[in-house]
Amino acid sequence: MNPLRWLVGRFPTLALARRNLSRATLRSALAITAVVIGVVAIGAIGTGGEAFKQDQLEAYEGFGGTATVEPDVQFEDGNLTNTELSDGDIDRIRQAAGSATVLPVHEPAGSFVQTQSGTLLFRARVKGLENPGEFYEARNGTMPDNWRRTIVIGARIADQNDLEPGDRLRVNVTDEFDRSFEIAAVLKPQGFSAPLGADRTVFVPASEFESGGYEQAIVRVDTTTGSVDAATQAIEREFNAREQLVRVEQVQEQREQFTEFFGTVNQFLIGVGAISLLVAAVTIANTMLMAAIERESEIGVLRAYGYPKRAVVSLLVAESTILGVVGAAIGAPLALGIGMAINQLLLGDPFAFTAAGLRYVGIGVGFGVVTALVAGLYPAWKAANKRPVEALD
Amino acid sequence: MAPEPNEDDGRWQEAGDHATSETIPTDAIIRGTDVVKEYETGGQIVRALKGVDFGIAPADFVAVVGPSGSGKSTLLNLLGLLDVATSGDVRLRGRDVSTFTDRERTRKRKETIGFVFQSFYLIPTLTALENVEMPRMLDRTPTKTRQRARQLLERVGLGDRLDHYPDELSGGQKQRVAIARSLINDPDIVLADEPTGNLDRDTGDRILELFDELRRDENVAVVTVTHDDYVAEAADRVVTLIDGRIRETESRRANFEEGPDP
Ligand SMILES: Nc1ncnc2c1ncn2[C@@H]1O[C@H](COP(=O)(O)OP(=O)(O)O)[C@@H](O)[C@H]1O
Ligand SMILES: [Mg+2]
Repeated sequence: MNPLRWLVGRFPTLALARRNLSRATLRSALAITAVVIGVVAIGAIGTGGEAFKQDQLEAYEGFGGTATVEPDVQFEDGNLTNTELSDGDIDRIRQAAGSATVLPVHEPAGSFVQTQSGTLLFRARVKGLENPGEFYEARNGTMPDNWRRTIVIGARIADQNDLEPGDRLRVNVTDEFDRSFEIAAVLKPQGFSAPLGADRTVFVPASEFESGGYEQAIVRVDTTTGSVDAATQAIEREFNAREQLVRVEQVQEQREQFTEFFGTVNQFLIGVGAISLLVAAVTIANTMLMAAIERESEIGVLRAYGYPKRAVVSLLVAESTILGVVGAAIGAPLALGIGMAINQLLLGDPFAFTAAGLRYVGIGVGFGVVTALVAGLYPAWKAANKRPVEALD
Repeated sequence: MAPEPNEDDGRWQEAGDHATSETIPTDAIIRGTDVVKEYETGGQIVRALKGVDFGIAPADFVAVVGPSGSGKSTLLNLLGLLDVATSGDVRLRGRDVSTFTDRERTRKRKETIGFVFQSFYLIPTLTALENVEMPRMLDRTPTKTRQRARQLLERVGLGDRLDHYPDELSGGQKQRVAIARSLINDPDIVLADEPTGNLDRDTGDRILELFDELRRDENVAVVTVTHDDYVAEAADRVVTLIDGRIRETESRRANFEEGPDP
């Protein structure tokens, strides 16, 4: 006996089910498409989301011992007060934080950046730093030692505007300065959640700013010798003993907040994906109901010839499950392909799947198959319980 | 030759009637006494069978005739365990079928009964051979089933059409496939509801000849419904149903020559 015949003899229900599906090819194809969409939605959103999370978490890696200090801005009588940290405040932070590196940051409200040809870099932010080399490494060019007349820019700005060391940018800061700088270095990518949003920032020397106030200070503790918790507490004690003057936040906390927030967003997106599977379920239930109605007399013949109800249910559920299995079989590689594209884009390696990411593809496949099976139950039950006499007329 | 209808000869054959009780074959496969079948449609009750007696002995060839709506299909459905009587007693080999669960009825159908329908009801995605195998496809005996199916198709003259699909066969050929299918479970009775209704006269005649041969070769009883008189010619007995009652039973077989008349 040839193997195909053996299979048919072994699993007659599956063989019958497959042939029945091939009878309404277009209808079957549509139902399969619905499953594919659902599986791809869940799988791709899941793996993509994981890749995104991975990317962000990598970005946080370097900031384990980092905290940010900002004035706790108040809104009183139509005026903003307590908007800046003074030089004195910075000194107090330095004293309180002990061995930590403290980096005061100018974050002017009104600024713009232009290329030499006059193009505005809308999304660039301007920040003033004293010594960026304390904090960042250069991807291109070299970090200036005695920083006075050049600027360093974030990786994203450089990539989006085709800028490299040696190019010039005009930087205008309201009430402060308006002049052209040579780019000394392009920073290594930091990820969007890095403090200061370095990837989208144009850093100018702090000496360019006349005003003494700073909008933010970055505190970095060498975690092998000190503790960022201790530094944070010391700063809080120094400033906030009587009233809240500054807000101190550890990047680690931000990372946790991000992870939590991201989890919520991802669950929501996967929920959206799951809804598409629900639509697939409706499509399959409809397909199977139509099939059951069309084949009523045929099912009646099966019943007359002694097929138990269970066999009829199995046959129709096998049909709907095949739709799910085929849909999942097409959907899973598609989801993986999309996942690979996202991995390449965010992590630079198409195979950088995490276990969690792959699990979503598995979940998509599982849900796709189970959804199809469940969607087939009612039509199958209905067809099987039709009395054979009624079905035959 | 038709006797005046009265309560007694309104019954079909042997069962439940004192005058004919000696002629009931002890080996009757299925028998019914005073069987009534009512349908309820939209609050109205239709009495399709108004108290009929029947019995089918092995290798019987019975033709059921009568006008449309007289209850022929209803009777066949009861014989085929596809439906249950409203009242009266129907026994399959002595067992009261009204006590059967749906599952038991299904199993008994598989063991005992083969069906042939007016509209053939072949499965379009299966070849002739597979259609014949269909009633046994869930039995895990594919080789034996295949052998038997092939043999039956050869028996009905379709040995060269095994791998044809139904839409590649003529009406008469389809009905032959259906007849082969009805025999695959080696039933005791084949029930055919107007098997020649969709066929021309010559083809229909050949189908009936086939039934006549098969019930001898395969030792199977055949009950066939028809409204064509010529069909009845081939049968051992002709049962005429009119308005839910048996009006006339004509027996040609030697052992029933006495007839039910007192
Ligand atoms: N499922 C049903 N529901 C209601 N009435 C039915 C049903 N089946 C048959 N009948 C009625 O029972 C009577 C006998 O029908 P049937 O046995 O099909 O007759 P025949 O086969 O001799 O034409 C008819 O009056 C028919 O309308
Ligand atoms: Mg009828």
